[in-house]
Amino acid sequence: MSLMNWFEDKRRFGGLIGAFIEKATKGYIFSEREKDRYIKIDTTKGLWTRCDNCENMLYVRFLRQNKRICEECGYHLQMSSTERIELLIDRGTWYPMDEDMTARDVLKFSDEDSYKNRIAFYQKRTGLTDAIQTGIGQLNGIPIALGVMDFQFMGGSMGSVVGEKITRLIEYATRASMPLIIVCSSGGARMQEGTLSLMQMAKISSVLQIHQAQKRLLYIAILTYPTTGGVTASFGMLGDIIIAEPKAYIAFAGKRVIEQTLRQKIPDGFQVAESLFDHGLLDLIVPRNLLKGVLSEIFELYNAAPCKKFQNSFFK
Amino acid sequence: MGFGTGALVLQQTSVAAPRFASISQVNGSSLDAFRNGADLPLCSHLQSHRNGIAQGSGQAGFATTRSSNKLLQTRIDSETSRVVAKIRKGKKSAETEYPWPEKLKGDEQEGYLEFLSGFKPLPTKPKPVTLPFERPLVDLENKIDEVRELANKTGMDFSEQIKELEQKYDQVRRDLYLHLTPVQRLSVARHPNRPTFLDHVLNITDKWVELHGDRGGYDDPALVCGIGKIEGMSFMFMGHQKGRNTKENIYRNFAMPTPNGYRKALRMMRHADHHGFPILSFIDTPGAYAGIKAEELGQGEAIAHNLREMFGLRVPIITTVIGEGGSGGALAIGCCDKMIMLENAVYYVASPEACAAILWKTAAAAPKATEALRITGMELMKLDVVDEVIPEPLGGAHSDPVLTSKNIKATILKYMKELLKLDPETLMKQRVAKFRQMGAVEEGVEVDAHIKRNMKKREAPLGSEDPRLLTSGLQQSLDVKISAVEGTTSHVNASATRSVE
Repeated sequence: MSLMNWFEDKRRFGGLIGAFIEKATKGYIFSEREKDRYIKIDTTKGLWTRCDNCENMLYVRFLRQNKRICEECGYHLQMSSTERIELLIDRGTWYPMDEDMTARDVLKFSDEDSYKNRIAFYQKRTGLTDAIQTGIGQLNGIPIALGVMDFQFMGGSMGSVVGEKITRLIEYATRASMPLIIVCSSGGARMQEGTLSLMQMAKISSVLQIHQAQKRLLYIAILTYPTTGGVTASFGMLGDIIIAEPKAYIAFAGKRVIEQTLRQKIPDGFQVAESLFDHGLLDLIVPRNLLKGVLSEIFELYNAAPCKKFQNSFFK
Repeated sequence: MGFGTGALVLQQTSVAAPRFASISQVNGSSLDAFRNGADLPLCSHLQSHRNGIAQGSGQAGFATTRSSNKLLQTRIDSETSRVVAKIRKGKKSAETEYPWPEKLKGDEQEGYLEFLSGFKPLPTKPKPVTLPFERPLVDLENKIDEVRELANKTGMDFSEQIKELEQKYDQVRRDLYLHLTPVQRLSVARHPNRPTFLDHVLNITDKWVELHGDRGGYDDPALVCGIGKIEGMSFMFMGHQKGRNTKENIYRNFAMPTPNGYRKALRMMRHADHHGFPILSFIDTPGAYAGIKAEELGQGEAIAHNLREMFGLRVPIITTVIGEGGSGGALAIGCCDKMIMLENAVYYVASPEACAAILWKTAAAAPKATEALRITGMELMKLDVVDEVIPEPLGGAHSDPVLTSKNIKATILKYMKELLKLDPETLMKQRVAKFRQMGAVEEGVEVDAHIKRNMKKREAPLGSEDPRLLTSGLQQSLDVKISAVEGTTSHVNASATRSVE
């Protein structure tokens, strides 16, 4: 059965883990070379940063004002979850949910470093409790339920906390008849929580079934750079409207997995948002500076549907 | 096929290179011969699509010859048989193989669906494969054989020694198989001779018909769906199908479905919901197929839609993991009311090799990853993911497939009888509740302000939200009425105690 072994060998990297596995699992061990190349978006440490696309030097303060879009080439750099909330939610209306929820090491998982230590490290470094922030707020006056994932925390990996927070958010949105927006940015499922991470996909999909299919409420998924693995295979692709940012990397299996499976070079621009758009998998590609306006106008359109079965009051 | 048109048929009296070992059983009616696994002649004049044949295990290049009533296939190899050709009118067309016989004898009332199944017993018994941890057993067995041979050769009486050795063999075997480590269980789950989905289905069901196609461009051989009857009740079966040898594996793509496979499963699930078949799904896949075409067709989207739709089905769903359960590719048909695993089956979010390469940076750490990820049935039962673990016969499922299938059937029927008593609303709520309680988080403990310094603080004035609506989601799910079924309340209670810490 050498062929089977070969095939199994070539499937070293699993689909749900997606791409950006190093980011998701890296500890604090940096070599000197990596320290130089690591671009910190943390503005307290540097005044200038470099665009990933055109290598242009960008002044961080102006970059933040410009919603982290490069002035030269229009490339959307990574944005932290707090900034994204400020981008979308009106000032003075944010009400966070489940701020104190943290991960538990139920498997007692320990690779080079124990799971508990890794969590503590990332919490200290990023100032977030886990890879997602959820809450309610108003978007141009419309109350919405918003969840924003953050790639800085363990590569946005989806574990029990992410699953539970999103599930509670969706349940709240269902009970309050609010539209739901989730901004996805993830490297895949969290391996340290084993099969429980897998079941989070099913858990989120089950409450989405009630929210979307049974109660006919709106759910908009916004896919940002990068969205891979388990998130693409569950709530990322289940939106009534799927919006992607320009040039976002959206995939199920990472590039390396596919290259190993097929033993051939992958063409450039293969799993980029524009390519998915051409293949009919996305609804819209919306740049960041237009996002809030587009969303509020979409809500207006949906609210004006004359044959709505349930009277959802978007406007209080 | 290599002979030109217009040649003459020669009646062939001898059979060259019979394909199936059961050739000797061919006698009497064609139906019996078919049922005994003999191979079937081609109907070269029928040009339509192959009807669900396992092309991989099949028979490329068959001649259209047959002797009068016998269903024999003869392979025309250049060494042995005589050349036989047929008068053909019109242009020569490609050979397609169908699993049904050309001539049917008699008016049979039953058994027609069997003709459509392309899944036949393998022509040659599969080579026994020993896993590394079974090596001591094999050595012992060889020793016993040696002693027996010696006894036969010399005529001396070694029966006592043989008995002793056999007892020792049984003891070692029992000790080995009752205490398998996760790494050993993983290798048994991936065993090349492990019974596949269709093996189990054909053992369990009285009647079976396979249905095909996703109505969207492709019929994925890796994911098989169909309708079968057990004890007077019909069910919708679906599962990943691995191949039984290398050729079949390539045809079945190693049980790694493409988006078309998942869309076929979705179509079948809706069909089952529409017509009232409970769904039995069987998981045995290393994962979903990772390829360029699969990504372009929307692999993630296909899985996501399956996940969501399964929670809206109003029929009972029971999932059995019979081999490997590879993350999303397995979960796409695995959102169930009851989850059952075989003793040596595994269910993981990432294969241990992938996990080792990512977290330990070296593939050699795969055994460590296997232990750490908790992928076996017993460990998952402790995490409340799996409802029951079916014990396998000693030696793994491949040593006694019929007994394994019988055990699976008994367990499935046991749970199905309970689930069929529920009305659809309760069933759906219970399914959501089952998955709602999976996961383990810490909450209720005040978190250090430094740890959440970068999270956006509350800006909305107090009292602006509706306090009734902000009860925790867990509380809501505890209010769900899960009446009339024992065993499910334990899930909810366990989760309540777990999160209140």
